[in-house]
Amino acid sequence: MGLITYVARRLMFLIPVLLGVTVMIFALTMFFSPTIRALLYIRNPQMLTPENISSVIARYHLNDPFYVQYFTWLGQILQGNFGWSQTANMPVLSAIIAKFPATFEIIVFAAPVIIILGLYLGIQSAVYKDKIFDHITRSSAIIGWSLPSFWLGLIFIAIFYGLLGWVSPGRVSPEVQTFVNTPQFTRYTGLYILDGMLNGQLWVSWDSFKHAILPALVIIIIDIALIIRVSRSSMLEALSKGYIVTARAKGLAEKEVINKHARRNALIPVITLSGLLIGGLMTGVTITETVFGFGGLGNWAATSARMIDVPSVLGFAMFTALVFVITNLIVDILYAYIDPRIRLV
Amino acid sequence: MTRWEDFKASMRPKIKEWKFMFKRMRGSPLSLAGVAIILAFVIIAVLAPVLAPPQHADPFKIPRDGEVAKLSPEPTPPTMKHLFGTTDQQYDIYYACIWGTITAFRVGITTIGIALILGVIIGVSAAYYGGIIDEVLMRFTDIIIAFPGLILAMALVIAIPAIFTVNLSIGLVVIFGLIAFSALIMRTRIKITVTLFIIFVATIASLFIYPLNMGFTINNLDKVLIALWIIGWPGYARVIRGEVLRVKSEDYIEAAKACGASDLRIIIKHILPNAIYPILIMASLDTGSIVLTAAALSFLGLGAPPDYADWGQIIQRSQPWISSQHLLEFAHVFLIPGLFIFIFVLGWNLLGDAFRDVLDPTLRRR
Repeated sequence: MGLITYVARRLMFLIPVLLGVTVMIFALTMFFSPTIRALLYIRNPQMLTPENISSVIARYHLNDPFYVQYFTWLGQILQGNFGWSQTANMPVLSAIIAKFPATFEIIVFAAPVIIILGLYLGIQSAVYKDKIFDHITRSSAIIGWSLPSFWLGLIFIAIFYGLLGWVSPGRVSPEVQTFVNTPQFTRYTGLYILDGMLNGQLWVSWDSFKHAILPALVIIIIDIALIIRVSRSSMLEALSKGYIVTARAKGLAEKEVINKHARRNALIPVITLSGLLIGGLMTGVTITETVFGFGGLGNWAATSARMIDVPSVLGFAMFTALVFVITNLIVDILYAYIDPRIRLV
Repeated sequence: MTRWEDFKASMRPKIKEWKFMFKRMRGSPLSLAGVAIILAFVIIAVLAPVLAPPQHADPFKIPRDGEVAKLSPEPTPPTMKHLFGTTDQQYDIYYACIWGTITAFRVGITTIGIALILGVIIGVSAAYYGGIIDEVLMRFTDIIIAFPGLILAMALVIAIPAIFTVNLSIGLVVIFGLIAFSALIMRTRIKITVTLFIIFVATIASLFIYPLNMGFTINNLDKVLIALWIIGWPGYARVIRGEVLRVKSEDYIEAAKACGASDLRIIIKHILPNAIYPILIMASLDTGSIVLTAAALSFLGLGAPPDYADWGQIIQRSQPWISSQHLLEFAHVFLIPGLFIFIFVLGWNLLGDAFRDVLDPTLRRR
């Protein structure tokens, strides 16, 4: 019961965060003149006449004062209407649901590797501090962290597509893309890997798996440095504590000391960071998606920001806030699980 | 003479500290590599006019030979004339890489500097004054942190208008008004406060006598810089707020208050020296990432204009070939500027790591 009330109370925090984020984004869009914001709604260049623009301004109330526009929008949200995304050519909510699987397909491979491998390397590097293993891990982490993601992506594409011809950029190969759009293929989840299995078309799964590997690898190489760095320093701190000396003094095997006594105490900062990292990845890996032509959330948000597509950007902002509040919540619950001294209040 | 002796005596611990830091830095090959990389880039930046003589009045404009109409739309691989080859439309990559170094320094150092100053001002005032000021400033900080930085930066780059018309007098009145009132809140010396208020009244008077209007045109790169300031400061504000809260309750602050020191004096002379190191370390680690973010914005087509010497902008020029077999053939367009970005960022990250090992009191004496 305690957990449920705790979760409910934490989810209440979402309301002020969402209000704050949306007010800020709304204020930002007010930098643009109503004319510029109206241009988004006119697709056909021949329709760009002053009369059309002013009719659009009147129809969408773009000339109203800031607070009137904001409260109109807020009223629509409360009725479950998140607006129309011009960039995706569908309602904002459907756009988020449609774009999220592409992003998720990359993260589902990248995130476990980043966290588990990063934690392992960081801890080993702390255990063998100043040994050759430590030096190699630390320098490769710094190198990975310094790589521009788009550059690494371009190099991968040049090697694996240009040179070896293994995979093409994009989410799936063109023939799979056409097959996926036929009525024979049912989209249960939007994740092609899972849908391929559910449809009994394993070649679709295999193709989409092949395409997700390279972007996932780019993210792993770059982001693993963060986890290595934090787990190394928090493990070093744990190893310098008195209880480690005690454990060693009473003759415990070094393996026991490290795995049972030190590691658990070094986990808290790593969990905090992992939560932030996964939250960041969930809300879109903009650059990687753009390079590899993955039509995910990040790519959509970036396009919307460039097109001044206000409803899309606002919808994306709210999605981001939701993801971060939920990941922070999970992180806090994990704290209590890892360290029984921490109570959820 | 005694004053000099006093000065020497007061400096002795600081000199010892510097010597210790220097020794620590010298002992680690990685930090030496970082120093060497950054020094090499400084040399490239200083020697840029010699290494790549400018051909336009604006040295950041990338030269291309021949008539614009007849230029080949395909990149050419490296030759003797164009050491690193050219991009499509025949922009010289070697020139862009050399002058791009200056752009990179400008982006890295100015953005971090200004974000740091903004963060310190906001974080320190939030922590020092507490209460409602703290609440308002920190909630504002949270909102900016909650939104993905890159997307916010993109929206800002588009939102910032290219032409600003500022009424300079009104700007001055606002600035001097803020300074004068903060002096009043901070209980600075009465003479200073009165002087500031006289200046404030004088600027108001000048508003009626001689209104100044001024227009600014800012290019895309400046917009990127402004966007990066805005997404950059909240991290520093949050960290320094925590540090100031820790320092604020120390006895020596109470002592300084009891002596009647003004808030400004306490903040600058007693709080900041004890609270600033964590964010200096953060800043040195962030310089590399901010250059990466700027390059990413350029890659998305929101950075420097197409003929401006900037590494990210050159890489962006290889985008049309991503899904064709030609990407490998034109690999020099992205490989070489990317290598510049990578090594530049690597240098800053190594340097930041070294600074952290040297400055962080929890790590240094291990």
